[in-house]
Amino acid sequence: MTENAIRLERRYPHPVAAVWAALTTPELLARWWAPGNIAPVVGHRFSMDMDAWGQQQCEVLAVDPGTSISFHFSEGQLDTTITWRLEPVDGGTIIHFEHAGFQLDTPMGRHAIEGMGHGWPGLLARIDGVLAGVS
Amino acid sequence: MRRIFPTYTGLVLPDVFAAVSNPARRVILDELRQGSRTAGELTGLLHLSRPAASEHLAVLRGAGLVREERQGRNRVYYLQPARLAEIGGWVKHFEQYWNQRLDALGDLLDEEKPK
Repeated sequence: MTENAIRLERRYPHPVAAVWAALTTPELLARWWAPGNIAPVVGHRFSMDMDAWGQQQCEVLAVDPGTSISFHFSEGQLDTTITWRLEPVDGGTIIHFEHAGFQLDTPMGRHAIEGMGHGWPGLLARIDGVLAGVS
Repeated sequence: MRRIFPTYTGLVLPDVFAAVSNPARRVILDELRQGSRTAGELTGLLHLSRPAASEHLAVLRGAGLVREERQGRNRVYYLQPARLAEIGGWVKHFEQYWNQRLDALGDLLDEEKPK
């Protein structure tokens, strides 16, 4: 009843190879998402530095080189799966993004339920302001 | 650029979260997704005493997650899906977060583009 997923699509006027590099090269990934030693290799374990959330453990689940990568994100915390799939189109690339497997019955979800006041949930009170500040 | 990952913001009423935080009540909600059930059927499903089951049903009614209808001697329970949908609200903040990140990806791609 509480499983949820986010699916987004975005078109970029850049070739698939450039987008693929931005997703799978740690130096580039750090510039638009977060620092982490990602590699497009099935079974590769890595961590993403999510700032106030701390290091989030990840594991690559599937790779279609140059086209798609799927990885487990935030092992033992959020326990979700992120998938990026690239579709070449005339004049650019469409990225199909999916962040799936949100469940209330995870440590993160339980924090949300309980509305606790420390650690990650400490962000809860501030996040509206944070989101307002960046948008 | 802020990169703090989003989470629950208090948009969902706390009583809804409290109601679904209990495993027995989640069993009831999952069962009611299949269709209406009598109070007796739900009590049997939970392997709980009748008073304990009644208490869980009262919490769910109070949170607006289920409604009760009297049909003869039976009390029949129905899911109220609108309130459940509110729980999905916390995921919406991740959607906002990712839209911002995809904006940032676009900026990076523009910067990296060979002149």
